[in-house]
Amino acid sequence: MKIREIAEKLGLKHVCGNLDEEVKYGFTCDLLSEVLGRAKPGTLWITVQTHVNIVAVATVVGIKGIVLCNGHEYDKETVEKAVQSGIVLLKSEENSFLVSGKIYELGLR
Amino acid sequence: MNVQDALLEKLQEFFRDSKVYEFMNRDVICVTPDKTLLHVKEIMRIKRISGVPVVDDGKRVIGIVSLEDIIKALEGNYIRESVEKRMTKNVVSLHENDTLQDALKAFEKYGYGRFPVVDDENKLVGIVTKHDIIYFLLTKLGLIYLHDRRMEEVLERSTSLVTGEALERGKADFVFHIDYFDVNKIGIGAARLKRFLMEKGLDEELVRRVAIATYEAEANVVIHSGSDGYIYCFLDDEKIAVRVEDRGKGIENIELAMKEGYSTAPDHIRELGFGAGMGLPNMKRYSDRMVIISEVGKGVVVELMFFRREKDENKGDR
Repeated sequence: MKIREIAEKLGLKHVCGNLDEEVKYGFTCDLLSEVLGRAKPGTLWITVQTHVNIVAVATVVGIKGIVLCNGHEYDKETVEKAVQSGIVLLKSEENSFLVSGKIYELGLR
Repeated sequence: MNVQDALLEKLQEFFRDSKVYEFMNRDVICVTPDKTLLHVKEIMRIKRISGVPVVDDGKRVIGIVSLEDIIKALEGNYIRESVEKRMTKNVVSLHENDTLQDALKAFEKYGYGRFPVVDDENKLVGIVTKHDIIYFLLTKLGLIYLHDRRMEEVLERSTSLVTGEALERGKADFVFHIDYFDVNKIGIGAARLKRFLMEKGLDEELVRRVAIATYEAEANVVIHSGSDGYIYCFLDDEKIAVRVEDRGKGIENIELAMKEGYSTAPDHIRELGFGAGMGLPNMKRYSDRMVIISEVGKGVVVELMFFRREKDENKGDR
């Protein structure tokens, strides 16, 4: 599924990155090592972490996009790094549970 | 009982039938009987070894000079005399086809630090110390942790901890200096290594495994070492070896650190999502072989080995 479709259906705010990237899986977690250890390539990652390291984790794991929940703001360096690394950044006012549930309903696993 | 002996006792039951030739050190240094003890002393100092077999023209073992012999020679003021005159003549050797159990019995029975290994013709083919046996056993288990005074030696050595082959830092295919203390920068090295390996055209899933394990090792250097560090990567047709080193604080208790969920990360680091206690377990999970060597105050060396095979049958559905 294209990230664009998810962003549009959930009303997520687009911060940067190519919305035509494809994702197959979702992963919700705020502990980086858990994400590193368990998330699959082609994942959309739902988190409340905002610092630049999430981009490094995404790059290493092969995560295509990140959804930041609870209305948090990405750090400035995070956005810069994501642009360089080609990681899609999205934002939501809702909490991780609700965002995850809605994304699950759309068909990601 | 010291740590080495305790480890040996635990492990030997699984591998008691392994043969001496599997774990002996083939790169054995020996001398001829016409040399002086002074000469032997210099060899021991330079090579940092504690015993040297003496061989005749046919490479047959005829004696051994140990550190103890050298000390006696210094005390007795005969260090300039010939090896032939002063060496220990009734040498206990192991045969290359003896088993691990035989070797351990010999250590127990004679209390020597090393045994020369000979073939059917009594020719010297190797040497065995307890350290060689421990390396062998732990490598078999796919994980080594050593935690002793040998750290310094290990930091200096340029051979692979896993395979024993040469991994010279100067000849690494990829080098990255972890020269920052800012957690936000963690992953620069791993991401660069990932790009480097992708450009080499390596399998994507393999590269992913390397990158994740390297990321964790890099994070450990930045969060825990209190020093800078280096990532080295060595490539050949069969495998990718990654070595991450620092000269920092070291790991207090590696066994504990290997446990999932155990972490010593401070709260301000945990708030950023680090310190889940999954770093070392993730490294082990994503690599085919992993060796950690550490001593408190001296640093940590992590060596990760990834095999370049078509099918990853051992690693399941990660």
